[in-house]
Amino acid sequence: MSEPLLELRDIEAGYGRAALVLRGLTVTVPAGQIVCLVGPNGAGKSTVLKVASGMLTPRSGTITVDGVDVTRNGPQQMLRAGMAHVLQGHSVFKEMTVAENVGLGAYTVRDQAAVAERTDFVKTLFPVVAERWHTLAGALSGGQQKQVEFARSLMVSPKVVLLDEPSMGLDPKTTATVFEQVVRMRDAGLAVLLVEQNARRALESADLGCVLDLGKVHIAGPAADLLADPRMAELYLGGAASRLEEGKAR
Amino acid sequence: MSSALLLQSLILGLLLGGLYALLAAGLTLYFGVMRVVMIAHSAFLILAAYLAWFFTTQTGLDPLLSLIITVPLFFAAGYGMQRALLSRLRPATLTMMSVLLTFAIALVIEGGLGYLFSGTQRRIQLGYSSASLELWGARIAVVKLVAFGLAAVSLLALYLLLKKTRFGQALRATIQHREAAQLLGIDTDRIAGFGFGLGLATAAVGGTALALDATIYPSLHWHWIGPLMAIIVIGGLGSIPGAAIAAMLLGVTQALLQIPMGTTWAQTVFYLALFATLMFRPQGFFGGRLAQRF
Repeated sequence: MSEPLLELRDIEAGYGRAALVLRGLTVTVPAGQIVCLVGPNGAGKSTVLKVASGMLTPRSGTITVDGVDVTRNGPQQMLRAGMAHVLQGHSVFKEMTVAENVGLGAYTVRDQAAVAERTDFVKTLFPVVAERWHTLAGALSGGQQKQVEFARSLMVSPKVVLLDEPSMGLDPKTTATVFEQVVRMRDAGLAVLLVEQNARRALESADLGCVLDLGKVHIAGPAADLLADPRMAELYLGGAASRLEEGKAR
Repeated sequence: MSSALLLQSLILGLLLGGLYALLAAGLTLYFGVMRVVMIAHSAFLILAAYLAWFFTTQTGLDPLLSLIITVPLFFAAGYGMQRALLSRLRPATLTMMSVLLTFAIALVIEGGLGYLFSGTQRRIQLGYSSASLELWGARIAVVKLVAFGLAAVSLLALYLLLKKTRFGQALRATIQHREAAQLLGIDTDRIAGFGFGLGLATAAVGGTALALDATIYPSLHWHWIGPLMAIIVIGGLGSIPGAAIAAMLLGVTQALLQIPMGTTWAQTVFYLALFATLMFRPQGFFGGRLAQRF
């Protein structure tokens, strides 16, 4: 396996004074690969992404990007470190045009030549963005909005893209298109950390997979192996973690 | 009613609506950016009017020149108020607590004005105070035209600022999806502070415009806050164009009703429109597609 680009090691994190959501979680994302996190509701999948993008500071553990410790960074510093986070649901600025949305993706970039170059890149990668450039983002379909969010996140030339349930609320055909775009991001050289409820579909697109439950990684390995694992088929492609633990014990 | 009187009322309504639009734009900015109900907005309006009056009585210069001082001062005060007070309120109860907090600020301003300038009514006397223009039989006071011009220029400046500048885009993004804006590297706390400052700067302009043509006294802000709150609810909370459209419509209606009903009863149009909105369209008439645009 290649060197990890992003590494979250022994992470413990939670919201406010509430109980921990992540309990000693370790996840690594190698360069140019899609790592998929699957698991039941409440397993802590979205919390992993919040920690990785600096929206939630871990109580303990370390986060490194390219070997540099970024554990205490906030969202702005994480963005500079190369993390781009696409939120769950729709997070386009609905009353702004696609052009304005994508332009805001480069809010922290001062070099206008780099912005122009990056704009061309995302327009090529996501043709619908170029086609609907002057349309209000709120007038686009759910799948198109998701692609605008992808394009916006790539404007800062990130190292790792964090995707939180990109297929949420989309029909099967649109979901397929969205996953194709995720694969295209990987093929363009990006690392992707993907959280998804649609576990089977996500693992089919991913290189590596991690199964989360109760804030910990229970199984990790090549996505194809996880898909072929009979325990996965029984449990996480429609089951519960506790039964997995029982399986392990046996 | 003669056609000249009708025309005069219509024009006066539009001129008044312009001022309402500017003030309501400020009020809706606070709500859009932070979900804050800013009861003290009209108290700052009266404070600006007093500062304009004080400036003119002390220097003998035109009150419009006081804007050079009051606009940056109010912007800084708004920024400071958001960062030091409002941002410390718990998100879960922010809207409710902001009512209480800004109500207290309004009382402090009213008390301070009463202490410094007494409760005596004040009015700026200008060389052009009694000048008027005649238009097809309708008489329009020059000060009202100046006040409208000031409001119109300020609204245009606000529009260009929000639409064409990097700060404006960041502010609109913060209003529309704060978390997503934060993930793009926008310092949403700082931007919210600037947004608040911008809202208070509109009160500085509005207060100066008001001082040109109104008799002012410390408790005058209570007379303004009701109609302004009604305008932003009718326009759709958070929608600046909605607030502007509602302001113009209600300003004209109020002016037209003043002829048969008198000044006091004409103002009830704001509350009747508010009741009707809450009953039939609680999200406001422009709270859908128009909300957050601008």
